[in-house]
Amino acid sequence: MTWNIAKKEIVSNLLSYKFFIVILLMVILVFTSFFIMHRDFKERLSDYHLIKPGPEDPIAVNPPNPLSIFVKGLDEAMARSYEISRIGIDVKAGKQSGNIIFSYFSAPDFMYLTRVILSLVALLFGFDQISREREKGTLKLMLSNPVSRAKVLIGKWIGNFLCLAVPFIFVTLIGFAFMNLDPGVSFESFGLVRFGLILLVSLIYISLFLSLGMLISAFSKRTAASIVILLFIWAIVVFIIPNLGTLVARQIVDVPSVRALSEKRDQIWTREVLLGIQDRNWSDHYNRISQENNMLEEDYRNKFNRLIRFSKNINRISPVASYIYAVSDIAGTGIGEEGSLKREVIRYKNQIFPDVIEQKENFPNFSYRYRSLSQVFTRGTLFDTAWLLFFNILFFALSYLGMVRYDVR
Amino acid sequence: MVSSIIKKEILNNVFSLRFSVTFILLLIVIPVMFFILGDDYVRRVDEYSLRQSELENYLKNYAHFNRIGGVLYPSQPPIPMHALVRGLSAEVNMEEFHNDPLPIMFPLIDLTLIITVFLGLAALLFSYDSVAGEKEDGTLKLILSNRISRSKVILGKVVGGVITLLIPFIASLLLGMLFILAHPRISWSGEDWGALGLIVFGAVLYISLFYCLGLFISSRHHTSSSSIMTALFVWVLFVLVIPNLSPYAASLVVKTPSNIKIAREVDRLTDTERDQLGIRLSNERRQEMIKKYSFLAEALTEEERDRRIAEDPEYKQAYTELRQEIQQAWDEANQIQSKKVEDLRRDLELKESAQTRLSRSLSMISPLSNLVYLVTDLSSTGMKNREYFDRLRTAWYSSFGEYRERKIDEMRRQNPAVDTWNTPVDMSDRPAFLYREEPLADRFKNTLVYFMILVVFNLVFFTAAFLSFVRYDVR
Repeated sequence: MTWNIAKKEIVSNLLSYKFFIVILLMVILVFTSFFIMHRDFKERLSDYHLIKPGPEDPIAVNPPNPLSIFVKGLDEAMARSYEISRIGIDVKAGKQSGNIIFSYFSAPDFMYLTRVILSLVALLFGFDQISREREKGTLKLMLSNPVSRAKVLIGKWIGNFLCLAVPFIFVTLIGFAFMNLDPGVSFESFGLVRFGLILLVSLIYISLFLSLGMLISAFSKRTAASIVILLFIWAIVVFIIPNLGTLVARQIVDVPSVRALSEKRDQIWTREVLLGIQDRNWSDHYNRISQENNMLEEDYRNKFNRLIRFSKNINRISPVASYIYAVSDIAGTGIGEEGSLKREVIRYKNQIFPDVIEQKENFPNFSYRYRSLSQVFTRGTLFDTAWLLFFNILFFALSYLGMVRYDVR
Repeated sequence: MVSSIIKKEILNNVFSLRFSVTFILLLIVIPVMFFILGDDYVRRVDEYSLRQSELENYLKNYAHFNRIGGVLYPSQPPIPMHALVRGLSAEVNMEEFHNDPLPIMFPLIDLTLIITVFLGLAALLFSYDSVAGEKEDGTLKLILSNRISRSKVILGKVVGGVITLLIPFIASLLLGMLFILAHPRISWSGEDWGALGLIVFGAVLYISLFYCLGLFISSRHHTSSSSIMTALFVWVLFVLVIPNLSPYAASLVVKTPSNIKIAREVDRLTDTERDQLGIRLSNERRQEMIKKYSFLAEALTEEERDRRIAEDPEYKQAYTELRQEIQQAWDEANQIQSKKVEDLRRDLELKESAQTRLSRSLSMISPLSNLVYLVTDLSSTGMKNREYFDRLRTAWYSSFGEYRERKIDEMRRQNPAVDTWNTPVDMSDRPAFLYREEPLADRFKNTLVYFMILVVFNLVFFTAAFLSFVRYDVR
């Protein structure tokens, strides 16, 4: 019986205007986004080939990550070049473009589409499931059959989920296959598995909004009411909480701004050079610079890590933040991965720093290995995925509660 | 008659669920946002003054002209408007190793976001069923059975709808303003309030254009359930897609050379290529001089040469000329190369600004971008402020340059042998960098075009709604 209801949902969706609009939106957006982000990636790749260090240079550069086509995240920051010099780590090639409009709006990558647009689409599939059928009178008819309300609800969920997920997976996989036609972008097994996981987490995320839609629908008599409530919940959860949470965390954890840190470093450097000119005791001064900078930076890093942990936990009130953390960390462009790259660069710096001060040549090469999936999952992604699942189940259970007590008249 | 339609619309809306939801939501979100952003502004002010005082401490002991550019430079102080609008003020600092990744992952939220996302959405939610829904309810027939023209009905609907939307917006904004007025450390000047007034006016235009759009869509549909789908589809394109795609699309059309490539090229031009050119030019000059004074061709060690300069006045004369010629040759090489660098940089700048202009124009297809540019430019947190800041900075640098020359002259007069670059100097009398926001009139002039476009959007959508409503089948 459940399957019958699911089938009925699928058929009625396939014929609806809503389905037509949604498919149109998905096709246009996914393909445009893949095309544009692919080109962006290729440009960054050619920049990388320009700045790629020679075999014995004391320079650390991480090539752009092909998965940044789908989840751009912090990849632009991660593909900068870190030159180790006597005054520490010198960052080059930070600024990508002089076009300021880039800084106004976030990148339209796959994660953005799913996070903002597909979540909205999923709500549209869920918002009228129960109230609309009541308005039309079909709910009465359905329940007059020997079928339990739980089965009706499950059948509806499955039917709508399939209508949403199948075209979504289909369009995404076609887009992904096109990306693979380009020999310059190689995903290898690293990318394939991770892309699969990103898709899976995205599906969990989308179905969460479907459950939310059904939940509100099961508690409201009229569809007009449920859409209003849902859209506002959506706007708060997607736009307000994650962004406001970061600001709240900054109020509580006192972290100096990046600008303050860099000013301080410049002051230390110029001071020691001035003193060095007077007493000519250069190696002392270089050591002083690196010592003081290390202390300053370590203090900053500790505070900053606390800020990140704290804001992570605040933001997780909204499942959207969990989705961002999970997907960007799986792709290797998230905050966790960026921190790990920075730790590696610092380790590299500490390893070769004595030689740099003595102006030796022939340095070992830097190469960064992305954290393995098991590391990524144990460091928070597993929690985030479980958190998404938890919301999903919670919303579904609550909507069951609403459905059981629903007055179908 | 129009007034009774307006009254009916307002009453109808005010007692609806969507009105109370919007009202409650805005009443919570806007004051909470003001509270958090206001606190953050105060924190930034404190941090800024701490940074400035640390800089003063440093300058007291270690200020010297050689590396002063590395520590003393104009920086933008927080402005009171940051309690409301953030714009481009997030500090990502990609040039530093310790950059701040959080604003990339979670962009800041401010009044702009509330207006563009919430109020635009609310306007569509209020209007999507005002024609199709009334037809379903059967009330549209009743209204039109009275002696009233359709144009009056649609006009009444727009005015009534926009007024109801403004009630929660203005009320919650006033509540937020109370917080700013009461906060001891946030003081707004008259210009700030003026800017806020203009921003609110822009927001009204934005709300009413989405209301007209909703009406237009509603009068193209016969059921409200399909009308909401189209409305959301258009909203997604306007608000969530077009602005984000525009810079990427523009970079497909107008290509800019990669910044890294240019930096490499500049290094090459001013380093190896300059040396080659300099050596070639100076060798040419040397050959010419040797033609003139054949004795210069002799290969001498430095000691022999110095002796000869001391003994032989003719040789000395020739040698000085030779040195001058070689110096000229190098100057010429430097000039040629820096001309090339300048051309390269100018070309990059031209292409980048062409790309920026194109992305801006493309994004202006969406009302959201117009409002974003309008709000950020009016509150001095946008791209116009960046240009304005650059102008202030250039002016400061030139006055600091004059100050430096004066100061160096003074040092030389006191002690001609002093190393003017690497000696600590008291710089407390240096020209101070003062950031004052651009006058509001100028800011307003810059944003006129966005106001105009928002008005045009309003007219277009209203006309479209009117034309569709006139031909609407009410049965």
